[in-house]
Amino acid sequence: MKVLIIEDERTLAREMKIFLEKAFYLCNNAYTAGQAKQLMEQNEYDFILLDLGLPDKDGLELLNSTKKMCAGASYIILTARGNLEDRIKGLDLGADDYLAKPFSLLELQSRMHAISRRKSGNNDPVLELADFHIDLNKRIVRFQENEIELSRKEFDLLSYMLLHKNRPLTRLQLSEHIWGNFSDDDYDSNFIDVHIKNIRKKMSAYASVEWLQTLRGIGYKIKM
Amino acid sequence: MLIVVLFVLLLPSLVGYVSFKYNDYYLSQQKKKVISTINKNGIDYYLQGDSAYASYTMLKEEYISLMPAAAAVRDTIETSKRVVENDTLNYRILIHEFHYHNQNYLLEIGKTTATISQYNRLLQRFTLFILIGLIVLTILMDLIYTHILLKPLKKIVSTKLLNRKFPFKEPLSPIKTSTLDFKFLDSSLISLMEKIHEAFDKEREFTSNASHELMTPISILQTHIENLMMEDEINEGLQEKISSMMKTLNRLKKIVHALLFISRIENEQFAKIHTVNLHEVSTEVMEELEMRLQTKSIDFKNDISKKVIIKNVNRDLLFQLLYNLINNAIRYNKDNGSIHLSDKLIHGKTYTIFIKDRGIGIKADELPTIFNRFKKSQEFTGEGYGLGLSIVKSIVSFHGFEIKVTSDLDKGSIFSIVIPADRVRLLP
Repeated sequence: MKVLIIEDERTLAREMKIFLEKAFYLCNNAYTAGQAKQLMEQNEYDFILLDLGLPDKDGLELLNSTKKMCAGASYIILTARGNLEDRIKGLDLGADDYLAKPFSLLELQSRMHAISRRKSGNNDPVLELADFHIDLNKRIVRFQENEIELSRKEFDLLSYMLLHKNRPLTRLQLSEHIWGNFSDDDYDSNFIDVHIKNIRKKMSAYASVEWLQTLRGIGYKIKM
Repeated sequence: MLIVVLFVLLLPSLVGYVSFKYNDYYLSQQKKKVISTINKNGIDYYLQGDSAYASYTMLKEEYISLMPAAAAVRDTIETSKRVVENDTLNYRILIHEFHYHNQNYLLEIGKTTATISQYNRLLQRFTLFILIGLIVLTILMDLIYTHILLKPLKKIVSTKLLNRKFPFKEPLSPIKTSTLDFKFLDSSLISLMEKIHEAFDKEREFTSNASHELMTPISILQTHIENLMMEDEINEGLQEKISSMMKTLNRLKKIVHALLFISRIENEQFAKIHTVNLHEVSTEVMEELEMRLQTKSIDFKNDISKKVIIKNVNRDLLFQLLYNLINNAIRYNKDNGSIHLSDKLIHGKTYTIFIKDRGIGIKADELPTIFNRFKKSQEFTGEGYGLGLSIVKSIVSFHGFEIKVTSDLDKGSIFSIVIPADRVRLLP
């Protein structure tokens, strides 16, 4: 998939590119609205990651003017400004999602993945995870014909880890994905352990869960 | 008004006095006429050979009598009775003694008091009517005039002061008036409102810029660290260090976020347009915090009425408010403790929500400062950055509510949020 990263903060843009390329996306960087427009005229993109604080034009204006030009692309707005109006206006103008900075790169990939699934009609093939099968549409984990019941949060956790397989994921990253951001402490991180324990318990009743690795002092990883 | 009443009361006597005085004048005019006629035509013009002369009008309203005077009498005008052809009537009489051809004569000219007063009543009524008419007219003219005069003022009030919502974003146009005072008032109001609007916008811009400037480097750091974590060459020891860095960065992020949040609340950048069912919201909060409640085996009871709704509030802010208070109640609770939510409605006055916990409590000398920024409990170190209650306080102030705390060390605390009754509605 082709991604256009429109971000004037070069270090940030570079980090995003590194991360997404590791996840097999093809990336172009634009640092101004002018550059972005040029690139959009030359190429077709599947994703356009748009920072609102561009030097030469307001991101929302750019979104408005290019939405027609690149109609097939999914737009994700990124901004550090924290205004509620930006979010509402952006979504109204046709953006597919909105991420407030600072965001986790994992979260970004997760959102892009969700948009792709939505646009392809939620017709995902069932994913293989060692001896198990994960049905993302029905939110079920299967071992052969058996259905394993995971709670909502447990399923979210498992599918997130699967999306970012072979990457070490800290408790912090995992809990931010599951629970979001209401509290002003790291309390939630410890609950990840409880959920992982439950997942292991439920699934190991059927087959090995060795692929679900604990990284001491850090978090967890699915190794495949 | 008083003058008018006085005038109306005195009117009869005034009119009476005037007509009497006029009559006296009339009598003396008559007397003069008679004397000049006598001087011109001689007294026989009247006497005609008789020694006396008397004449009266048909209905005895006026009479005149001329007779030899007995004694010398001074000129007088008096009111007394006279008998005229068997009729005794009250007369106002002018008595004049004069000398003519060596003879003293007494001239009497009289008019019935009834006649004198006959016009009084008419005059009174007439005057009264005119007076009332004039008063009404004056009042009308006054009303019309002041209405016209004050019209610009009314317009100023209705267009600029009624139904104005902070921060006065709607465009303001000056009203048309030639009165300098009103023009000044109007332009002052416009300029004031524009200033407020500007200041509000500036504040919002500042918060927006501050957010951008603070969050961008944090964002860069976060992505750096995340990418670092995923490098293949990183060994376990390094990974741990990187994970620790992430935690610290996260802490910074949360604090900046909370401060910006408080700033936005205090700059009124949230709209109070929702109607909220507190039982619903508190239940949502409880669901978010379920894991924590379970871990500490805390008994949670929600007795907030399902029928009470609050108007003109911001739902997200109220969610955050309850989240912070209940989160604190959990954090500072003892294992196997309890949290109880209840409410109390005092009709026409206030509606209060109580959040009660059986936790470690708050020391009396710490109570006054718990809402300060970065204040954490002395009893309990670790979790939390000290901004939870500051946020609660800001949200409470923003909505015009009140918050109170009572606490017993080692027994528990009760947080009460007092809401004015006019914001509360009861569902049937």
